[in-house]
Amino acid sequence: MTSGDALVICEGVSRVFGTGSRAVVAVHGTSCVIEPGGRVAVIGSSGSGKSTLLHLIAGLEQPTVGSVTWPGLPLAPDRAFEIGVVFQSPSLVPALTVEENVALPLILADTPEGEWRSRAAEALGAVGLDDLAGRLPEELSGGQGQRVAVARVLAQRPRLVLADEPTGQLDRASGQHLIDVLLRTASQIGAALVVSTHDRTVADRLETHWYMHEGRLHTSSGERILS
Amino acid sequence: MIITWLGGLLSRRLGRLLAVSAGIALAVALIAALGAFLTASQSTMTARALRSVAVDWQVEVQPGANPAEVLRRVTAAPDVIAARPLQFASVKGFQATNGGTTQTTGAGVVVGLPSDYRSTFPQQIRTLSGADTGVLLGQQTAANLRSRPGDTIRIQRAGRPAVVATVTGVVDLPLADTLFQKVGAPPQSQPSAPPDNLLLLPSATFSRLLGNSPFKVQIHVARRPPAQSSPEAAYQAVVGAGRNLEAQLAGGALVGNNVAAALDAARSDAAYAQMLFLFLGLPGAVLAALLTAALVGAGASRRRNEQALLRTRGLAQRRIGQLAVVEALVVGVAGGLFGVVAALIAGRIAFGPASFGISTAATAMWFAGAFVVGLLIAGLVVLVPALRDLRGLTVADARRSIRGRTNPWWMRAGVDLILLAGAVGVFIASSRNKYTLVFAPEGVPTISVSYWAFLGPALLWLGGALLLWRLAIMALAHGRRPLARLIAPLTGRLAQPGAAALTRQRHLLARSIVLLGLAVSFAVSTAVFNATYRQQAEADAQLSNGADVTVTPAPGSRTSPREAAVLAATRGVREVEPLQHRFAYVGADLQDLYGVQPATITSATALQDAYFQGGSAAQLMNVLAANPDAVLVSAETVQDFQLNPGDLLNLRIQDDTTKKMRTIPFHYAGIVNEFPTAPRDSFLVANANYLAQQTGSDAVGAFLIDTGGRNQPAVAAALRHEVGTRATVTDISHVRAEVGSSLTSVNLAGLTRLELTFAVLLAAAAGGLVLAAGLAERRRSLAIISVLGGRRRQLRGLVLSEAAVVTIGGLSGGALVAWGLSVMLVKVLTGVFDPPPSVIAVPVGYLGIAVVAVVAALTAAAFAAARTSTRPPVEELREL
Repeated sequence: MTSGDALVICEGVSRVFGTGSRAVVAVHGTSCVIEPGGRVAVIGSSGSGKSTLLHLIAGLEQPTVGSVTWPGLPLAPDRAFEIGVVFQSPSLVPALTVEENVALPLILADTPEGEWRSRAAEALGAVGLDDLAGRLPEELSGGQGQRVAVARVLAQRPRLVLADEPTGQLDRASGQHLIDVLLRTASQIGAALVVSTHDRTVADRLETHWYMHEGRLHTSSGERILS
Repeated sequence: MIITWLGGLLSRRLGRLLAVSAGIALAVALIAALGAFLTASQSTMTARALRSVAVDWQVEVQPGANPAEVLRRVTAAPDVIAARPLQFASVKGFQATNGGTTQTTGAGVVVGLPSDYRSTFPQQIRTLSGADTGVLLGQQTAANLRSRPGDTIRIQRAGRPAVVATVTGVVDLPLADTLFQKVGAPPQSQPSAPPDNLLLLPSATFSRLLGNSPFKVQIHVARRPPAQSSPEAAYQAVVGAGRNLEAQLAGGALVGNNVAAALDAARSDAAYAQMLFLFLGLPGAVLAALLTAALVGAGASRRRNEQALLRTRGLAQRRIGQLAVVEALVVGVAGGLFGVVAALIAGRIAFGPASFGISTAATAMWFAGAFVVGLLIAGLVVLVPALRDLRGLTVADARRSIRGRTNPWWMRAGVDLILLAGAVGVFIASSRNKYTLVFAPEGVPTISVSYWAFLGPALLWLGGALLLWRLAIMALAHGRRPLARLIAPLTGRLAQPGAAALTRQRHLLARSIVLLGLAVSFAVSTAVFNATYRQQAEADAQLSNGADVTVTPAPGSRTSPREAAVLAATRGVREVEPLQHRFAYVGADLQDLYGVQPATITSATALQDAYFQGGSAAQLMNVLAANPDAVLVSAETVQDFQLNPGDLLNLRIQDDTTKKMRTIPFHYAGIVNEFPTAPRDSFLVANANYLAQQTGSDAVGAFLIDTGGRNQPAVAAALRHEVGTRATVTDISHVRAEVGSSLTSVNLAGLTRLELTFAVLLAAAAGGLVLAAGLAERRRSLAIISVLGGRRRQLRGLVLSEAAVVTIGGLSGGALVAWGLSVMLVKVLTGVFDPPPSVIAVPVGYLGIAVVAVVAALTAAAFAAARTSTRPPVEELREL
């Protein structure tokens, strides 16, 4: 596979927060490529720069140095519809129902109401939450909230799914179940999946492992950071 | 821990802390400024009441008592500066022969004055023509006798031959009612009017001409002003002093306590000033407290989350409570200090240093009180909800943000409708005693104030606000589709979920709408009240002066209405209207009679409908025009003579040709309560042409001059130059300062500026700050939508939609509540107005400014939030 087929290419990317003596380098000189259909685990301890890297890949952050390009994805602003993001913290709109939260990317993409309703129902069914469609986010547990976020990605049908520590607030069983859902969802829609985690059992479910340590990315499998 | 928490609050939540402090500062500033002003205004009222009195005491020597001994005791009484004896004798009448005809008046009074009387009591007598001393003829007597200085008159003594005196001057007694009071008699036994015929003589002349006739002696007293600053306290002091003197004189004399009477009226006005403070100041303070509560409430979700986090990390509830105490103290103290400084600045700007705060101590008391109120508000709105949440919620509950999906208890119980019904009930009850708020019967030492009447507007305000809340929730709950259509131009494809979100946040939105509505209704009703007050004060001044400028020909002179053309040529004069003035007997009662040109009278002066009964001003002027013999009379005359519309009313008026009184038939056509230049007691208004035709004279009593409301002093000066000594020229700006109650004398312009400024600030803050605080809580939602592909335009649209809903709901709801409140306020506070208004005044300019300020604040808040919503979403999410 050539770089022309890649979804995302990062070249020498650095991201620095703050200036002067208070500057913090979150990501340092990172280069990587995400291929269509890829399954990547970004592994690293807390504060290693995993979330910032995912934000750079999603286009939510601008690199301080280097470039991020999306040759396999459309130009902004339509690119947002082809990248699905699952955040570590709750990322549902409190005033919208579960169904409306799931359908939100479709509504933003001007999808007809009939279609977004059926796709939202389908996505909620896939994560086993179809009976909670009318609930508000505050009525859900933490695990249910994350599954709704996954259902949103499923309904969105992006070509790249980025999940930032999606199991961070869940117990092991719930975390494994969520990873099952994510993998199944990515397979169903044929999307590439990048999951950041510090949990080895989660990482082991994915084919490719990248390691982050103090802002530097190591894509070779020989270097293990995790204990 | 507390220091760390405080540091975190100051560094991370400074904006919110400042906003809450600003809300508290508004309440503190309003209370402190109005309170200090209230104290100062009472002092002003006392000073004005004292200034209005020409003679502090009129001590009447009783039959059998020795006048010299009474004078000695009065002079020796505490605080007496001067005491002068006067003689009063009743005579059969006066007679004068001029131009071959002889005029004779009815019964009259002759007063003997000490030589230094006029310098001791300068306000008592005003010279209209001739000398200041010697034989001085009253204005009306001079008119009746057609006498001028230099003429000879005969004083007809009862049972004795007439004596002759040469007139040296014509005078006016501005306080004749008081001078000729029946000392010691209750108000209902006082004469309804001073004597029609009056002659003032030097004491020596009096003794020479009337020394053998029976006469009474009155000692006029000037006293040091009382030390007390409030009218009530000063009143109590002077009443006590008067009674003390009466006790010392042991029945030898009665004290007519004029200064006490003036203070008696002033203490009523002071009570009204207190009512105004209550009606106009208290709602503002309550509103500021509600605004602060709403600001705190907008951050309640975050506070609950923070509390939940602290609890999950093991911090004891007591410690979390202490953190809430620290937060309340910080905003309370900061708000209190800001408020006190703001009150000082606002007070100085609105009133000036001289009239703001009677003394440092009184001002400090009000400021300290307001500061404590600020701390209480902080405790109520910051501490109490935090402690309540802490005790009542589980951690899971605390993390919920869309709370209160069921309607609140008051809505289910119909409290809004109950309050409105209560408002109507109190209003009806108040109307039964003609909205009398202050009961101050003359001579009764204490006054009572009906604070119950305050309940009517208060219940209406609160009930209206709760009803607005109910309607807003109903509209938002059931109007999702129209709401989606309304916001579609702003949100595009997000209209449906945007409307759904607004519907689900209806309780939060309704709160913002109600707060804005309350602020708008406060601003509008305050403005309407103040505008109506100004309108009526102006009407009062115009009633007293007659018009912008009034030219009154000298007594005894005969001025043709054609003189109007000369006056009209003066620069600045727009219209000149001649007004006839005669005296007419209704039965045995002598009354002022005004002859008007019904078709043109309103070109030079304003006639309000409230001046008349039995028709509007225009209708009754049409009646006078269509029926030349129609006459408008006072309600008292209608009652005294049992008149019905159309009844024949014969008036005896002097015929200019024969100089004798003749009977002229009129027909009763309506009631007139007030009329330009007319006295407050009974008078008549008739058609000038008919009057001229019947009496053979079209002589003008006064020219009413309209200047278009501009440059009255300058126009008056030009007219004075034109007419010289032939007439007296008065302008409304001069009269404005003289007439009116002591309430009018209070710096109402400053009070108005202060209130209206606070009202606009509150309305703008209610709209802007609450919306901004609410939207700040939704930054996460906007950031999430942005991550999911929401465009800047869509995010801005969502924010603006919320602002539009709050603006439309708050302004329209507030306007409705304001309308009802304004009408009720003006009715309930009828006693403050003189004359009572027939219509309320709507200050369009101010209201326009207020609406622009509110919309600008809302727009600024919305655009600030919209700008924040377009920041990089991850940056936003990271900060929250």
